[in-house]
Amino acid sequence: MSRTLLGLLVLATLMLSGCGDDDAPAAGGHGYADLGNEAAGYAQATPGATLAFPVDHGTHPDYRIEWWYLTANLEDDAGHTYGLQWTLFRQAMSPPGREQDTKAPWASRQLWMAHAAVTTPNGHRASERFARGGSGQAGVTAAPFAAWLDDWELKSTGEAFTPLTVAAATDDFSYRLELTADGPLVLQGNNGFSQKSADGQGSYYYSQPFLHASGTLNLDGQPVEVHGQAWLDREWSSQLLGGDQAGWDWFSLHLDDGYKLMAFRLRGSDAFISGSWIAPDGMVTPLAGDDITLEPLEQRDVQGHRLPLRWRLQLARPGRDITLDVTATIDDQWMNTTFAYWEGAVQVNGDHKGVGYLEMTGY
Amino acid sequence: MKGIDAWRALLGALLGHYRRHPGQLAMALLGVIVAGALYSGVQTINAQARDSYARVEALFGSGDIDTIRPIDRPPTQADFARLRRAGVPVTPLVEGNITLASGQHLHLLGIDALSLPPDIGSVAHGATQRQGESLTAFLRPPYRLDVAADTVRALGAEAGQRLTLVNDRELPPIAIQRELAPEVAVTDIAAASALLGRGTQLDALLLPHAAPLLATVAEDYQRSPRRAPISPGQLSESFRLNLTAMGMLALLVGLFIVHSALGLALAQRMPTFAILRALGVSRRALVTALALELLTLGLIGALLGLAGGVVLATILMPGVAATLSSLYDERVAGALTLTPSGIAAGLAMTLAGTVTAGLSLLRRAARVNVLAPAHAGSEARSGMRQRRRLATSGGVLWLIAGALWLYLSRFASADSGHGLLLGFVLIAALLLGAALLLPALLDAVLVTLTRLLRGRAVIIEWALADTRLQLPRLGLALAALLLALTANLGVSSMVGGFRLTFLDWLDQRLSAELYVHPGNVDTITVTDWLRTQPEVNGVLTMHRSEARTADGLPLDLRAIDVSPLRQRYWPLLESTDAPWQNVNEGGALINEQLAHRRGLTPGDSVTLKTPSGTLSLQVAGIYADYGNPRGEVALSLATFAHHWYTSGGESSLAVYVNSEAAAEVSARLRQHFDLDDQAVIDQQSIKGESQRIFERTFAITRALNTLTLAVAALALTSALLALGRWRRAQLAPLWAMGLSRARLAWISIIQVVTLATLTALLALPLGVALTEALVGIINVEAFGWRLPLHIFPVQMVWAVLLAALVAGAGAGIASLRLWRTPPRVLLEEFRS
Repeated sequence: MSRTLLGLLVLATLMLSGCGDDDAPAAGGHGYADLGNEAAGYAQATPGATLAFPVDHGTHPDYRIEWWYLTANLEDDAGHTYGLQWTLFRQAMSPPGREQDTKAPWASRQLWMAHAAVTTPNGHRASERFARGGSGQAGVTAAPFAAWLDDWELKSTGEAFTPLTVAAATDDFSYRLELTADGPLVLQGNNGFSQKSADGQGSYYYSQPFLHASGTLNLDGQPVEVHGQAWLDREWSSQLLGGDQAGWDWFSLHLDDGYKLMAFRLRGSDAFISGSWIAPDGMVTPLAGDDITLEPLEQRDVQGHRLPLRWRLQLARPGRDITLDVTATIDDQWMNTTFAYWEGAVQVNGDHKGVGYLEMTGY
Repeated sequence: MKGIDAWRALLGALLGHYRRHPGQLAMALLGVIVAGALYSGVQTINAQARDSYARVEALFGSGDIDTIRPIDRPPTQADFARLRRAGVPVTPLVEGNITLASGQHLHLLGIDALSLPPDIGSVAHGATQRQGESLTAFLRPPYRLDVAADTVRALGAEAGQRLTLVNDRELPPIAIQRELAPEVAVTDIAAASALLGRGTQLDALLLPHAAPLLATVAEDYQRSPRRAPISPGQLSESFRLNLTAMGMLALLVGLFIVHSALGLALAQRMPTFAILRALGVSRRALVTALALELLTLGLIGALLGLAGGVVLATILMPGVAATLSSLYDERVAGALTLTPSGIAAGLAMTLAGTVTAGLSLLRRAARVNVLAPAHAGSEARSGMRQRRRLATSGGVLWLIAGALWLYLSRFASADSGHGLLLGFVLIAALLLGAALLLPALLDAVLVTLTRLLRGRAVIIEWALADTRLQLPRLGLALAALLLALTANLGVSSMVGGFRLTFLDWLDQRLSAELYVHPGNVDTITVTDWLRTQPEVNGVLTMHRSEARTADGLPLDLRAIDVSPLRQRYWPLLESTDAPWQNVNEGGALINEQLAHRRGLTPGDSVTLKTPSGTLSLQVAGIYADYGNPRGEVALSLATFAHHWYTSGGESSLAVYVNSEAAAEVSARLRQHFDLDDQAVIDQQSIKGESQRIFERTFAITRALNTLTLAVAALALTSALLALGRWRRAQLAPLWAMGLSRARLAWISIIQVVTLATLTALLALPLGVALTEALVGIINVEAFGWRLPLHIFPVQMVWAVLLAALVAGAGAGIASLRLWRTPPRVLLEEFRS
């Protein structure tokens, strides 16, 4: 599951012009179509590179955007279902080596943004935080792993990457979960290189979809004990897109027999579809556009946006096709943050039952 | 009246008068202009001050903000990160004054737009619009300098420009942020830290008052209310109310000029009116034409007055800005900004004033008798009736003033808030009442004089009777003179008295020769060292900090050592029987401002929040604390150390040395502890600075006062000129009876000087009453301190002489005309 859109939004709104001293807006205007041309000076994601751990759990400051993205499908003892999101974004404001004064105490070319959200049976709450790099307010260390912005933190409890704890607190909700893994890290796409358009652009992308979560949600001061499954995505890139892609639909699904499915569609004149079928032992089968169909079934209005909240996913698998019916647990899981999008818990029916998360952007 | 031509003929006939007498037109216009200029000038200043104030207040939002600092050192970037990671939403601030290459100053605020709470105020408006290029430009080199438009203008700069500092460093490019406070520049903390040379050090960590300081970090940090860069709005509001009152007075006095100038023009055209009426011009047409004339005059005058007001405000504004900033630490834009509503209000007020001033004249024109001009005797009779009516109204106003006085000095509660407004109502009633009573009082004096001088000389008797006859026509101008003189006397005695009290107080409180701010050097070490110096006679320690009362009012806190030396130089206004012993035993002294605000007297108690809970302190005494807008509590060092164990704040030492050795000890001290120039200040510099601030505070009041007096003189002169034509008719028979024109001219001068002198004499007790109202009521309500009443006899003598001089000069001009009147013209008076 990639979070390209958010990165894009951040890029589109913050990173308009070229870097250095030239403050004139870049020719070509403010659309994200420019992004593909704006990557000069940044390190590039290319196929064939080998991801290395634990180093790659940490930051990649020479790449333009990067994120640590955790979602969880939870339930309490009474059987009520909850969704949870914890995300840390890093964004470079200029390429490495071209900024003066970055050595000064408050000067930094990195910008951090964090999102936290909780979906309950009757509502959705979201919050955001921002920080500059270099002050210690936000950052990521690879070993032992810790990613934080203020007291919103995702970190290893010991020397190993897992188990992890995740915590966030806002005025009206907070949470703290323990996360244990019962499967390996999963390299998405081609050995960790995830292609994002037909002309070969892409990102580095790995996941830990085999997380078991348990902990406490606090909603308006009322604690709720919860447990369930979680999915961590890691992605970094400098040049995710080409062309005219307008938005994204992204699925990360936990199926009841231990299988996981990641699938995305980049919408544009020429939609780009990709995904991964992940076996319980962590074995990945990359899915190309020919192997998956993503079909919106029902559009509904959420906070002024018309969104497909029911989907049919069809996978061509050797042996037999799989059809999944994916529905939002509640309609309004709109992230009313500075960069707004829909990110929410979903329920899976059809050939497999399951739960998961859906991200929809550009609507 | 039918047709355009007929109207044109009528207006031509009416306005033709001004072609022959351009002086009258000029005088009437001048009246409107002066009134309009003074009024709109003051209003412009007020609006500017209010706008600036609102912008300063909005800088960090309306919510309460606290500062967080480590117990024993200034905060740094590491504290910021530590607190944020502990879940305390602090935001860092770097601030300081920078001097531009042009010599101008800016207050530079370095903020972190990303960690600022969203509702913190306008300080980050431009930066926190987290969209578009705005944020990136703010966060990235060359960064961005957000400045208000009027500040940019005052700097003579423009958007996008990069200004240079005296040390040749370049500021980020300017971007205009309308809402920012004047003389404030906001930039990214990275840029500001570099410009101010702060490194990782911070000037403050800000935390919304509502946000908790979590227990995990609470013991390492101290939380105190942010010492707001501005004082409570009520204080500077009183200063502006003061200005408004001045503006209204000026408008009133200016309109007296309009009234007399128009009166003159009207009187001289009475025959014309009679002819016009005889020719068949209807009463309505005549009045309409005159109303049109009045409106045109008012409009032109008001427009010119507005322009004059802008000029006036431009001249006075820097002074007002300096005053507000020194008195209330309030930043006011020095460059003027005109708002459409301000312009409209100024025009409307002046126009309405002009019409009001002309209304009685229109009524008179409407009553024009076709057959005969008004008869002097009948006019005198109607004048008497009018006088009685005015006197009755004046008496009622004085009763109101008396009742208000009683209420305010006895029963008004301190925190009610409406005391100031009532105080101004009182003053208005007092002054207006006096103005209305004036003609009756003057008449009474003249009647008494007539009785006393009966039988001495016919000419004196005639002159006195003739003076009484002039009263109705001069009454208004004399009332203007009375108001201007009274205001002048009252305000200058208040300022003078304040000055004496203030200087006296400064002398007492600033008794030590040297004042030391050891900064990071340990206070005890410095004190011990000082005590070993042979020239040093004594050292007093004071520690300043901030606190809040249990109900949240921010206060200054002073911890002092209770030595005999301290007791000698810390005068108390009121106290318990043994105040210093009480302070030693855990009591407190409070300043007059706090006592007034909370209605506290010695023996009461005041409850403060401390790091360990609340603390109730018995009030042992009340001290004067002029110039401080905030409430203050002084307690012993021991009490402070016990309850504020985390010792935030700043220590200072008062060093008593042999005065001739002060400079040497100062130099030795600085060298020994490597202190900078600002760390050791001698008594003279502090006193000098305090006095300078004081003088500036009242400079504007004085300037407006003088202007008002000048306008009153002008009003009197124009009234006398208006009287001229009428006087000629009165004097012609005397001339015919053999009195020379020169003699008649002298008599006229003496008459007017007598009236003016009598008015000035009446202004004296009124001035004293005004002073008392200002120091005993207005000051207490506005500033929280009471001053003793001081009377300055020399100033009073000057006031009377000035009035006589002004009247003599005005009457002289009028008499000169009489003197120069050819006999033929005087003979004309007998023709009808």
